Amino acid sequence: MQQQRSTLLMITALFLGLLVFSFLTTDDLGSFGITILSGLFQGMLLFLVASGLSIIFGLMDILNFAQGGFFMVGAYITFAVFHGETFAQLDPNLRFPLAILIATAAGGILGIILERGLLRPLYARPIFQLVLTFGVAIVIGEAIKAIWGTVAYSWSPLTSFGIHQASFSLFDQQFGLYRLFVIGVGLLLIVLIALLLQRTRIGIIIRAGVEDSEMVEALGINVRAVFTQVFMLGCAVATFGGAIAAPFLGASLGMGNAFLLAAISVVVLGGLGSYAGTAVGSLLVGLAIAVVAKFASRPEINQTVWSSITPMILLVLVLLARPSGLFGKER
Amino acid sequence: MPVSWRRTLQSNWFHVLVLLFLVMFPHLVGWITGDSPLGVGGRPRGQSVFWQLIFIELFIFAILAMSYNLMFGFTGVISFGHALFFGMGGYILGLVLEKTGAASEVGLAAGVIIGIVVCGVLGLIIGVVSLRLRGVYFAIFTLAVAEMFAIYIGRWPVTNAEDGFVLSNLPAFLNPARDRLTYYYLVLILMIFTFLFIRRLINSPTGSVLLAIRENESRAQSIGYNTLIFKLLSITLAGMIAAGAGMLQVILTKKVGPEILTVSFTVDPLLMTIIGGVGTFSGPVIGASVLHLSERIFNREFIIGSMSINIGQNWSLILGIAFILVVMVFPQGIVGTWAKWRAGKKTTLE
Repeated sequence: MQQQRSTLLMITALFLGLLVFSFLTTDDLGSFGITILSGLFQGMLLFLVASGLSIIFGLMDILNFAQGGFFMVGAYITFAVFHGETFAQLDPNLRFPLAILIATAAGGILGIILERGLLRPLYARPIFQLVLTFGVAIVIGEAIKAIWGTVAYSWSPLTSFGIHQASFSLFDQQFGLYRLFVIGVGLLLIVLIALLLQRTRIGIIIRAGVEDSEMVEALGINVRAVFTQVFMLGCAVATFGGAIAAPFLGASLGMGNAFLLAAISVVVLGGLGSYAGTAVGSLLVGLAIAVVAKFASRPEINQTVWSSITPMILLVLVLLARPSGLFGKER
Repeated sequence: MPVSWRRTLQSNWFHVLVLLFLVMFPHLVGWITGDSPLGVGGRPRGQSVFWQLIFIELFIFAILAMSYNLMFGFTGVISFGHALFFGMGGYILGLVLEKTGAASEVGLAAGVIIGIVVCGVLGLIIGVVSLRLRGVYFAIFTLAVAEMFAIYIGRWPVTNAEDGFVLSNLPAFLNPARDRLTYYYLVLILMIFTFLFIRRLINSPTGSVLLAIRENESRAQSIGYNTLIFKLLSITLAGMIAAGAGMLQVILTKKVGPEILTVSFTVDPLLMTIIGGVGTFSGPVIGASVLHLSERIFNREFIIGSMSINIGQNWSLILGIAFILVVMVFPQGIVGTWAKWRAGKKTTLE
């Protein structure tokens, strides 16, 4: 009870601190609002990578370093399907959902292959699993390099439903409608995965498995089969994240690693294996990135450097106060 | 005395043979190809000098892989940010040599000492922050800190951001572009020194504690060892050795740039250690040799009949797949598999 209250206090303090800092350093209400919205946008994308990382770690004790690679795969496949020759005659309104669908399915299938084929023989040697996912991350990056080259792709102006160009104004500042769409989808997924974990049979097994997977096995439940499903889900969600981020971020080789590192700091700062921690942590880190990026957009500060270092600084700050993360159990 | 000498020789005959070969190697190549090991026509050219370069690179990689193995193989702590120490060593030496205006000999000595001390302290700090928690935290922390440094230094104006800077203030006796043979022997000696140092360390009582931590940390703790201190020792030493390897690298290329901080200098030692044999003394060296020589041999365009296959383009992809295969099929690496095979043969014969 005591700990819950102090956690709540800490989270509120962090959020308020960021908001006040942002309010004081931006010039007008409009850019303040935009900063907050783009923070939410960043946070949702982070959540899509981090949630899989967190659930997989909680259940299977594997930190999947390939998660950033799946995000990248999602972006590249969506880009290729949308701009490629194969579906060129299809209506763009149909092509975009189709691209996302294909990318997500590919991510899920790759996830199954990775868990069944590569990780399953190594459960007796956890340190090698870590090494293996690291190797898979490299292979994914290099395979993308071999297929699509090293050039960064940016989305062409042609879009579906016109959401890409559309924007609305907030206190005289423009904000892309597409980013709002991503925020909506992200919030929906947070709720959906929470429902899955809280209200379904497999969710109960997953939560029980996080607590003690041997005990679950002793009850006659095939935990290994659940492992595969969870791994597939985690990878598919990350790929989906890359897919819906593609119209905005394009597809480039650096995005996997950038998102992986930020997502890892989200998961650790939220408390490894805690779903609520991941959701809160994503919003916190996303907001911090946006606020720092806005603050550092003055010419004398290097914006890219500071916004990419922000998650790590936040992580170190939280870990110093709470060594096992915001929602982590004391060990 | 003679008896113990003979015993040392008998148990180490393989290492002594390899050592003799490496000492003779530049002269052997020179003798076969007719190019002097000192260069042709007063210039460092010719086959012998070319192969010296390849072997110097190999020795540097071997030192780096051995330092990685000290952590990963002997202490059971996994780091994904070893490039940090390698790169920082190179950068600090370069900064001290070029930016302080010190005389080249003084600058070299100061740079080496400062670089090694700073990297040791850096390893200590990372360890103190992350090691008290579970093993993954250390892997995460090292990866994150290494990426942070790579991003920051890749855009740092003082070191010319992405372009890096050239080392021009090197002492005359240490100039691989002029006198490569001296540098060859220097790096060879340092590699042997590292090898012997790690072997001595692991065979000491301290080393036994490190091995105990690898096997079962909570058991080592319950015997009464403060495992945190021993792990910190291992990381600090590994960081210092890696920093030394980074210094040798920048002296060889005479250039300091952000490429020495990239993740490939983490992946390579990890791969070399696993291919050679995790937790063995000669494994990292053998892994470094296999990987570096095969890269030199295969990393180019092959023309078979009318078909040309460019392996060089996809070299990293092939490496990555090899990495996964080795982890899956031969987790003990070359040395470990060989030892197992020999042990198996012995028992079946008896």
